[in-house]
Amino acid sequence: MADLASRITKPDEAAGAAPQVEDPTEGANSVGIVENAYDVEVKLADLQNDAESPLFSVQSFEELGLPKAINDGLLAMNFKKPSKIQERALPLMISDPPTNMIAQSQSGTGKTAAFVLTCLARVDLSKPQQPQALLLAPSRELARQIQGVIQTIGQFCENLIVQAAIPGEVSRETGVRASIVVGTPGTVMDLIRRRQFDVSQLKLLVIDEADNMLDQQGLGEQCVRVKGLLPKTIQILLFSATFPDNVHRFAQKFAPNANEIKLRHTELTVKGISQMYMDCPDESKKYDVLCKLYGLMTIGSSVIFVRTRESANEIQRRMEADGHKVSALHGAFEGQNRDALLDDFRSGRSKVLITTNVLARGIDVSSVSMVINYDIPMKGPGAGVPDMETYLHRIGRTGRFGRVGVSISFVYDRRSYEALSEIANHYGIDLVQLSPDDWDLTEKKVQDVIKSSRARPDYAPNALGN
Amino acid sequence: MQRSSPSPARSYDVSSPHRADLSDIFNQDRNSPARHKQILETSRKEHTRIREEAERVLQEARLREERDRVLEQRRKEEERIKTEEQLAAERVRLNALKAKKIEIPPLLPDPEPPVVPKVAPKPAPSTTAPPPANNLNGQQSNSQVNGASPFQSIAPPAQSSSSLFATKAPPGPTPSPTPPAPAPVPAAKPANSVLGIGALLNGNNTQTNGTTRIVGTAQAAAPPAPAAPVIDRYAEIHKNLKGLRKTMTEQAKVNRALKERMGDMRREIRKCMGQLTSGAPGVNRSQQQKIINLLREALANQVQSRLIDPSDYVFEPRQPVEGAHHNEPALPSLFIYLLNIFSKGAISQFINEASARPETADPVGVCVAATISEPDFLWRGKSMIDILLAKFRIVCPVLFGYRGSEKTEQGRARLGWWKDSGRWIGEQQHMDRMTGLGAGFAAISLRKFAASKKQNPYPARHYWTAMARIVNTPAAEISNTQCIVLKAMIENYEGKFIDAYGSAAIVALRTALIEFPARAPTKGAAVNSLEVLATLLKKNTGLTLG
Repeated sequence: MADLASRITKPDEAAGAAPQVEDPTEGANSVGIVENAYDVEVKLADLQNDAESPLFSVQSFEELGLPKAINDGLLAMNFKKPSKIQERALPLMISDPPTNMIAQSQSGTGKTAAFVLTCLARVDLSKPQQPQALLLAPSRELARQIQGVIQTIGQFCENLIVQAAIPGEVSRETGVRASIVVGTPGTVMDLIRRRQFDVSQLKLLVIDEADNMLDQQGLGEQCVRVKGLLPKTIQILLFSATFPDNVHRFAQKFAPNANEIKLRHTELTVKGISQMYMDCPDESKKYDVLCKLYGLMTIGSSVIFVRTRESANEIQRRMEADGHKVSALHGAFEGQNRDALLDDFRSGRSKVLITTNVLARGIDVSSVSMVINYDIPMKGPGAGVPDMETYLHRIGRTGRFGRVGVSISFVYDRRSYEALSEIANHYGIDLVQLSPDDWDLTEKKVQDVIKSSRARPDYAPNALGN
Repeated sequence: MQRSSPSPARSYDVSSPHRADLSDIFNQDRNSPARHKQILETSRKEHTRIREEAERVLQEARLREERDRVLEQRRKEEERIKTEEQLAAERVRLNALKAKKIEIPPLLPDPEPPVVPKVAPKPAPSTTAPPPANNLNGQQSNSQVNGASPFQSIAPPAQSSSSLFATKAPPGPTPSPTPPAPAPVPAAKPANSVLGIGALLNGNNTQTNGTTRIVGTAQAAAPPAPAAPVIDRYAEIHKNLKGLRKTMTEQAKVNRALKERMGDMRREIRKCMGQLTSGAPGVNRSQQQKIINLLREALANQVQSRLIDPSDYVFEPRQPVEGAHHNEPALPSLFIYLLNIFSKGAISQFINEASARPETADPVGVCVAATISEPDFLWRGKSMIDILLAKFRIVCPVLFGYRGSEKTEQGRARLGWWKDSGRWIGEQQHMDRMTGLGAGFAAISLRKFAASKKQNPYPARHYWTAMARIVNTPAAEISNTQCIVLKAMIENYEGKFIDAYGSAAIVALRTALIEFPARAPTKGAAVNSLEVLATLLKKNTGLTLG
C-alpha cells in the first residue's frame, strides 16, 4: 500500500479536472487554436444542466470509452474527472485514423496523463514484449517519472510491460522487451541502431517537454534522427507548457497535419500560484530570510532554485541545521545518484529540494506547495537576460493540478529587481512585495495573499489583451 | 571475583594465616603434610563460603524478580481498572448525551414526511431495538445522527465491541479480541443484509430527522442549521477559540514580552509541523521535542499571558482529579493559544499536504498523538484534544455524522464544503481537502499506545464510530464527500484498523467498501473508487472482502 501511495504522488500532473469546471467560450473537440481558457464558476443552480450542455461533452473518464482496467487505475489514484486538456485532447488522440497532435497547456494540468492514457488505449496487451509506443523525455528523471505514471494508471492492465530506455536500464543481452518504452533520445537512438529495440510495430511517438526537446541543438537533432528510424505512419504527439514561435513552426514540420491545442502566454501563469517576491537587504541575508519563510505558512514540500552548486550546498547545510530534511540535486550528481536523491524527495523522506536548473521542467511532486527562486532565472551571454520560460516552468512545480501553491522570488539588488520586473511585465502578473523586517506583518501578508488567490480561481490577467 | 565476594571482615580472617605463609615462606616445613592440610582446609572453607554467598544472592535475586512480577501485574491490573473506569464514565456520559438528544424530536415534524414516505411504519420497532444496544456499547455515540446501523448489527453481540475495547488496554491485547470476534462475524452477516440496511435505514431516517438535521431537498425550506448548534459543543469550542485568538492579539498589544515571543513561537510550531517526514522511527524527534518545549514554555508563562479557564475549550466540564498535573481552574492563555496553533497546523498540513499525498498525514498524526498526550499537557487528567476535534468538526463534518447534498447550498455547508470570499471552492479542491482530512483523522485515531505509559487521547473506537456514521447513511443521502472521506480514512490504514478490531474490522471494511458503494444511488467516480480500493486491497494485501 505504501508503495502505491508513493506512486500516487508522481503522476499528479494527470488527474482530472481543473478545479473549477469548464470553458464556455469554446466548443469541445474543436481543432485549432483555443484562444481563451477562462474557467467560469458553475452556479449551483446550473449543476443539473451540466449533462445536457454541449460544453460538457466528456464528464468522466468512463465516457471517453477507456477500458475498465484503465479507468480503475485512474480511480485508484484519486482521479475523478478529466482535466480540460484531457477532455479536449483525448478524444482527438484516441480517435481513428490516428492524427498527430501539438498540445500546449499549463503546468500541472494533466498533460502527462493525457498522453499516457493515449498510449494505454493504443497498446495491444496481447503482445506485451513488442514495442508499440515510444515516449521521449529530455531527462532521465522525467523518463522515470513518466514510466511510473504509466505503471500506476495501468496497474490493473494485465501483461503491461513498461521499460525505461535510459542509461543503465536496458540489458545488452535482451534489449528492449516491453510494449511501452520511455526514454531519452540518445539512449533510444543507440538501442535502435544496435538492433536491440524493434521499432517495426511502433504506433505512437510522444515527445514530452517538446519545446525543450526540439529547441536544443543536441536533443532536437536526436529527436529528428529517432523519428527517421521509425515507421512513417506513426502517430506523433507533442506536449509542452510553452511553445515559443520558432519551435512551434518546427513542431508543425515535425508532426505534420497535427491537431493543435494552444494557449496564449498571458494565460500561462498558473492560477492558484500566489507569486510574491522578497526584498532582501543584501545577498548575504538571503539565507536567514529563507529559513524564516518556512514559519509563515503551512508548507508541504518545497523546491528552491539556485544558480550555482556552491550555493546549493551551502543552503543545504544551513537548512539541515534548522531541522529540515533536504535533497540537493545538481549537475555534480550522476545517473542513479540523481535518481536516489529525487526518490527521497518524491517519497517524502526529504521535503526540501534544492536544485539548479536541471529540474525546472516537468518534474511533478504533487505536494510541493512552495517554490523559491533564490536566484532569478537568467539566460543568454553572461546570463544577462531574464529567462521567462524557465521562470514559468519553475513556478509550475507547485500548484499542481489546481492546488494552491506559493512562489517567492528573492531580489536583493537593482539587477535582480529589474530582471524580475521584466518577467512580471511579460506575463502581466502582479507580484506582491514581502519584507523581512517585521515577520508578524509579513506572515499576515502571506496569509492574505494565499487566501485571495484561492478566492479568485479564474485569475488570469487580461487573457485577451496579450 | 575474589575481591568482590568475600566480606571485608572475613577476608581479613582468612588472609591473616596467609600472611603468615608469606613470612614463613623460607621455613623448612613449608612443604610439610601438616602445612598442606592446613592450606587445603582454608581453601575448602573459602570455597564453601563463596558457594553459600552465591546461593544467597541467587535466592535474593529470585525474590526480587518475583516481587517485580507481582508489582507489574498489579500495575497492569490497576491500569485495566482505570481504563475500565474511564470507559464506564464515558459510557455514562454518552448515555446521558443520548438521552439529551432524543428529547429534541418535537422540533422538526415537517420535513420528515418527504424523506421517508414508505418506511414510516417500520421505525418504531427499529428505534426501540437499537438504542439499548447502543447503551450497551456506549461507544456508539453516533446514535444521535444515524442511530442504528449496519454497525449496530455488528454490535448486538455486545461482547464484540467490548472485546474490541480490550485491545486498547495494554495488558493482554491479543488474546481477548480474537476469541469473541468469530461470534460477531457470522452474526453480523445476516444482520447486515436483513436488519442492517432495511430496518436500520428506517431507523436512521427517524433519528436523523428527529434530532438535528434534515437531509435531501426538503431542507431548503426548513431552517435546520440553527437546530444543530444547540448541542454542537465542538462548534462552540471552535467559536471560543476564535475569540481566544482575538484576545491574544489584544494582549499582545499591551504585553511586550508576549508580543515578542508569541509570533516566533507560532511560526516555529508551524515550521516544525511542516518538517515532519515519514521514514524510520525517530526521524521527527527533534521537531517533536521543539514543539513540546514551546508548549512547556507557554505553560511556564514567563511572558505572563492572562490565565483563562480551559473549560471553554473542552467537550464537557471537568472536575479536579487526584494526581493530575494540572487541576487548577485556569491555565495560561498562551498555552491554550499554542495548542490551538498546533491543532490548526495539523489540520492545515492535512488540507495542504495530505490532500495531494495522503501518506504524509501519518507523521503528523503521530506528532499530534504524542504531543497532546504529554502528561503535563493534560488538564484534570484528560487531554486537550477537543481543540483539534472542534476544528475537525468544522472542516470535515461527515466524520461526525453530518450529511447533506452536494447540489444545494445548505447541503454543501453541512458537508464542510469550504467557501472563499463567498464562493464555493472548486470540486476537485474540495475532494482533495476531504482526502487529506480523512487520512488525517485515521492518522490520529488509529494510534497504538500499548507500549506507552501515556494515555491515548483518541482511541480507535472513535475511528469506528466515524466510519459507522458514514456507512450508516441512508442510501438516498449518500454523498461523494462521504465516499472520499471514507476511502481516505481506510486507504493505508486497513492494517492498523484490523490490528485494533480483528475480524470485526474486516466485516466493517466489507460494509464500507462493498456494501456501502453498492447501495449508493448514483455510481460516480467517488463511489466507484471505494470498490476499486477493495480490489486494490485484494491485489496488494490478499485481503478478500467481497
